[in-house]
Amino acid sequence: MTAQGTHIARRDPADVMRLKRLGSLHQCRLSFMRILTRRMAREGWRFSRPVFDIDGNGVGRAVYTAQGPERAYSLVAFAHDLPAELRSDRVIAEAWDATFALFDGVPTAADVDRLSQNVPLQEAGRVSESELSLSRANRSVRLWAHVVDALAEGRQPDPEQIDSVGYLMRTTAVYGSGKFGAADREVIADRDELQAPFQAEMLSVYLTRLFVRDLVQHMADAKGGDRAARLDPAIARRLGIGNSTGLGMAPFIVNHPVLFNNWIMAREEAIARVRGCQSASAAEIDTFLRILKRSAVSVERWRSQHPIQIEKLAELKADMTALSAHVGGDALRGDAPWDRLVRWSEMALSEEGQELVASLILEPYPDLVDGLSCCMADGNPGAFTIDGAMPVGEVRSLIRNSFDWALTMDWDAPENCARAWYVSEEKLEPRMGERFEEPIVDYEQPLAPARDAASAHKALEAYSDGQPVAEFLLRHPEHRHTIRRAQMNRVAPYGEIHDNTISASVLPIDMLRAKLSFFGATHFDPRSDRWVRICMYAGAPYPEDLTPDTADLWVYPEVAG
Amino acid sequence: MSYSLNEMEATAKRAARGAGYSWGLAEEAGKATRWLCAHGLEGGAALARLLEHGLANSADHAPQTLGGDWSGGGMLCPLTAGALVSDLAGWLQTGPIHMRDVAVPIALLPFAASAARRLRSCACVECDGLVAVTDGSDLSVPDGFPETAQYVTVRLGGSPASGCTRKTRARPDPASWAVLNRFAHRTYAPATEESRLLGAGAGLSDND
Repeated sequence: MTAQGTHIARRDPADVMRLKRLGSLHQCRLSFMRILTRRMAREGWRFSRPVFDIDGNGVGRAVYTAQGPERAYSLVAFAHDLPAELRSDRVIAEAWDATFALFDGVPTAADVDRLSQNVPLQEAGRVSESELSLSRANRSVRLWAHVVDALAEGRQPDPEQIDSVGYLMRTTAVYGSGKFGAADREVIADRDELQAPFQAEMLSVYLTRLFVRDLVQHMADAKGGDRAARLDPAIARRLGIGNSTGLGMAPFIVNHPVLFNNWIMAREEAIARVRGCQSASAAEIDTFLRILKRSAVSVERWRSQHPIQIEKLAELKADMTALSAHVGGDALRGDAPWDRLVRWSEMALSEEGQELVASLILEPYPDLVDGLSCCMADGNPGAFTIDGAMPVGEVRSLIRNSFDWALTMDWDAPENCARAWYVSEEKLEPRMGERFEEPIVDYEQPLAPARDAASAHKALEAYSDGQPVAEFLLRHPEHRHTIRRAQMNRVAPYGEIHDNTISASVLPIDMLRAKLSFFGATHFDPRSDRWVRICMYAGAPYPEDLTPDTADLWVYPEVAG
Repeated sequence: MSYSLNEMEATAKRAARGAGYSWGLAEEAGKATRWLCAHGLEGGAALARLLEHGLANSADHAPQTLGGDWSGGGMLCPLTAGALVSDLAGWLQTGPIHMRDVAVPIALLPFAASAARRLRSCACVECDGLVAVTDGSDLSVPDGFPETAQYVTVRLGGSPASGCTRKTRARPDPASWAVLNRFAHRTYAPATEESRLLGAGAGLSDND
């Protein structure tokens, strides 16, 4: 039993919500992939492959069904023969190596036929209320060829090459929540198994990984015939599914302040609870040390070519050395060990290291942490409603909660507003451009809450503290979205990024990483300042090995001894 | 064709923005259209007609003052007036809100519903003698809501028929859908070669 100690407050949004810190977040017990695999194992989900109709060129269709206690979900997969020159991870691509839909239930042959006319077209097709997600994936050309060739020749692929890429295919978009005709979130939000955020999408990726393992074996068998080897299960397990995420995901966390708040707040509450433990038992310390060791292996395997991430990784590796040395002594014995560890990390480690510590200390405490997963969805549609009777003075104070730092900035200075977010008519791809060099200002999206807050705060100067804000809104509809966000701060203190999202130096990859870390992604590999590759489910058990014992800590590589 | 409510909301929001409404009012337009569709009404058509009235860009279509009857210099915009009803829901506890010359008054219903939810009460929207009632969730609405209403009253009271069927899909008529998309298109920046290369941050090869 954990000794509960003093109350520790959640960390201040002014510290947590800085872009540099959000861009240093790591997965934790509350990550959406781990929530899903824990549940599937706990509930004894069953998996089957009712259709696998793929030819020797790797073209055809397959269906994978996951049967939960009340409902089934099926991944409908289409495999294509894609010429190399058409392979692109961009949203503006029009062909892929494989395309998928997650079907709500078990599809009939007619359903699969219908989907075969639409899913391969992705955004240009339509799906229906029977589908929960739409996605596609491209091969890692290098690793795919290596694995097929090796297996076809009767040998196992080279572990070095496996680790250097980490996946055979990477998804380049996973659309859910009503996109392109799919079912709305509201249709599924009341189901226990899909209540936590992005569970349908995470399930689709879990099943995609299974499909990819089967497909690569199928291709090797087709090529090698009787000589072909079976992919070693230990190697298969190390393979994840890659994901290539562009700028489009960055606006999501700005456009969903209550939802994003709930993710951050759940993790912050978990951190505060563990920091509040009066002492740690020998078993809890042992769990932490074991997972720390495994986490260090994951950090060692993390590769990036991007200068910013290379530098951050060097710092993180130094952090791991310092952390291991620090906890190797008596640091975790005595009073409030986790609070002391967090305080030490704030003095001794980089932000990457600090956030890794914050995630790792949650591991020994499933009873304190895991229940918070039910608080991460946005179940508060009322937060959208503006209270027009609120006195202007209170609105001013709410704005200052998140944006006090922004009120005195010179928002006309070019370096402070160099960028503008817009949507291109080309497949509605979200983009970020140079405000003073491109004709995009007329198309700017409201993705600079700090600038807009400063502007609204200035306009409010003409109003007295006691006036209802409705009077202001009647004359200034252009500030309506800002007033709404300010009032959301009452229920969503972590809903706003405390940084400038249009500055000359903004790194959208920080926003992408914040979101992807909650999915449970690892090995962030920025490909530019606004495009990142990650790995999902590397190390996770495939269905035949999924048990309560294997369902949770798979994200940390096994280490000998 | 059937669309998800999310698609309808997103398209409505972009269309309202494209028609010149502020982002905050465009958000209201998206949510309001979605609510109408979820209650089996032609939300997309209502918004399309409203946007074609072109009321977004002038303060003439907002209430000139919050005291007394709400009226504009011209036709009153139901998004602007409706948002105020929702913002000032508490005012309904002291008496009705009256409005004059309201365009597409059916677009007021989602805002009256928002007020009803906040007050945990029922709200009525009376348009030239026709009365719609909502408790925020259920809705009773008579046929033949006028295209414009000379006199509208929003007040607490009434009770909607229970068991109102909710729709999970929107089925806009093709003409209205085309109108919404035409307005929405105004929010999209033309694609240029430069933005194609730089705007989404293409850098290293992704064919590896």
